[in-house]
Amino acid sequence: MARAAGARAELALSLGVLALGLFALTTALNLPSAGGYSGIGPNAIPVAVSGALVALGAWLLVEVFTGGWRARISDDPLERGEHAFNTPAFAWVSVGLLAQMVLIHRAGFVLAAAVVFTCVARGFGSARPARDAMIGLVLGLVVFLFFVKFLNVGLPAGWLAPVLGGAGI
Amino acid sequence: MTETLNALLSGFAVALTPINLLWGVIGVTLGTAVGVLPGVGPALTVAMLLPLTVKIDPTGALIMFAGIYYGAMYGGSTTTILLNTPGESASIATALEGNKMAKRGRAGPALATAAIGSFVAGSISVVLLTLLAPIVVELALRFSPADYFALMVFAFVTVAAVLGSSTVRGLTTLFIGLLLGLVGIDETTGQMRFAFGVPELLDGIDVVVLAVGLFAVGEALYGAAYQSRIKDQLERMSGSLMMTRDDWRRSWPAWLRATAIGFPFGTIPAGGAEIPTFLSYATEKKLSKHPEEFGHGAIEGVAGPEAANNASSTGVLVPLLTLGIPTSATAAILLAAFQNYGIQPGPLLFQTQSSLVWGLIASLYIGNVLLLVLNLPLIGLWVKVLTIPKPWLYGGILVFATLGAYSLHQSATDLITLYVFGLLGFAMRRWGFPVAPAVIGLILGPLAETQFRRALSISQGDPSVFITQPISASLLALTAALIIVPWLLRLRRRNARRAP
Repeated sequence: MARAAGARAELALSLGVLALGLFALTTALNLPSAGGYSGIGPNAIPVAVSGALVALGAWLLVEVFTGGWRARISDDPLERGEHAFNTPAFAWVSVGLLAQMVLIHRAGFVLAAAVVFTCVARGFGSARPARDAMIGLVLGLVVFLFFVKFLNVGLPAGWLAPVLGGAGI
Repeated sequence: MTETLNALLSGFAVALTPINLLWGVIGVTLGTAVGVLPGVGPALTVAMLLPLTVKIDPTGALIMFAGIYYGAMYGGSTTTILLNTPGESASIATALEGNKMAKRGRAGPALATAAIGSFVAGSISVVLLTLLAPIVVELALRFSPADYFALMVFAFVTVAAVLGSSTVRGLTTLFIGLLLGLVGIDETTGQMRFAFGVPELLDGIDVVVLAVGLFAVGEALYGAAYQSRIKDQLERMSGSLMMTRDDWRRSWPAWLRATAIGFPFGTIPAGGAEIPTFLSYATEKKLSKHPEEFGHGAIEGVAGPEAANNASSTGVLVPLLTLGIPTSATAAILLAAFQNYGIQPGPLLFQTQSSLVWGLIASLYIGNVLLLVLNLPLIGLWVKVLTIPKPWLYGGILVFATLGAYSLHQSATDLITLYVFGLLGFAMRRWGFPVAPAVIGLILGPLAETQFRRALSISQGDPSVFITQPISASLLALTAALIIVPWLLRLRRRNARRAP
């Protein structure tokens, strides 16, 4: 059962590598080939690299159909000393990162950092989001002040601009 | 010889200025902390700090980065011994005996032999580095572009195909890294490649985004999905740190043997400290008067691998500084740090940036002493670091990871790329693709292409230049042998099994 799912994943990944290689190859073949003294143009290495990826994708595919990938990692999480794939945990980490992308220019670095901290902590099993948010806020604030004031690295202040003053950008 | 000594002395003058000493202390402290923390490694830390350090002068920044690189080796042993979660493959050998010693209440001597062994191996290796670097530089000055290209191919193949469990998966990661390295404007002709008209792609894929994505985001996604509900068993740090007379007697030969094994492995572009640590473990097991103790906490099994780990990580600096060839993920990021300042490591570095490079080497001597001082008496503090709950640890890691990626160009687009690389990192971790070849491919690929085209320009497009020049030819032959010989051996073994 686990093996069947594992084989499907291997098939999908092998096809992914193959597709990436083919896509890169078609792009590379459209690059100009004129090349001065060396006789090779800006397309030569891209063609070689994407060609290699096509070959590697094919090789992975061959392994799938001849008994599965060699020296593969066990598909049974218990055998790896881990637990089964925890979808909410994975999702919380992803949500945190996606929220930060959206928030960083609007709400500013400090609030975005608090959000990503809280979501990731939740993903790792923390049950006290309010406390995590406070820690994330303080961490974001300390990092913000250190980098903006001390290292002169510009970070967006966002909604907290009135409080943080002209510290950010 | 006197020349080297003079250069080293002026290097000490650079490294001992108060500000550089301060950067060194910050580096080794930070390095120890990230070494102790599971889930954060030196490659990730340096990558996250890269965009933030552009305003610091290069010597100070590089001394700090070297301190992180070094400190992480020391700190890693603490985690391995007390928590039995080797943070990196090079610590697996230490985990075998170290955690067993901790379980038997001998955590103190295990930590002590790891720290003192690291100091001994590290110091001897820095001396070897000092002596060897000028010789390699002399040799490298005679390298032609074809020779360089062959050397890089050799490094690619050893890192991707020879190490690791699967040749095809190692090569796949390498070529994905090489492909990512091609994105952007071609330096020779100004041609846009793989940019698809996206302005953010014209400058190429930044190594910071790739490394932080693969190491931090990928690790966090993987950890959340598969490990977040596991309770770690932290061994208590009980009893004294003191090693008994017997511990000393059994440790010091192991340290020296491990240095002899580790340093050469680091210097050849064979990447990683995994092989020398296991070799050292096996050697100690074979030579030990108490082989029955192995598997139950033999001190030689900690002393050897830890020393080998340190010696080989110093050895890695030889090809990095003298040839500009990184052979581990961290070395690749260090190379990117040099490039950030417009400095290209290689033989010329020793002439054009003599005070920087010798200051850096001198800082390694100082760093080793600092680390010994920092690690033994303060061990209790580092153990406290280990008790940070995982939710906060990973929350913090991702705050810093996104900070590093974002501050590159103050762009939220980089955060999207970061997440995509994070998903890639998750998949690579889950299905057994090594990460280091991708990072090395991205950094070293463009340099290899430049050398390749330069070599062909000199030869007027004649490709035989790679096999008619002796250095290039022998390196390529060696590379081919590295691939073909193991394959032949496997074939022979299979045939032997088939025969009755």
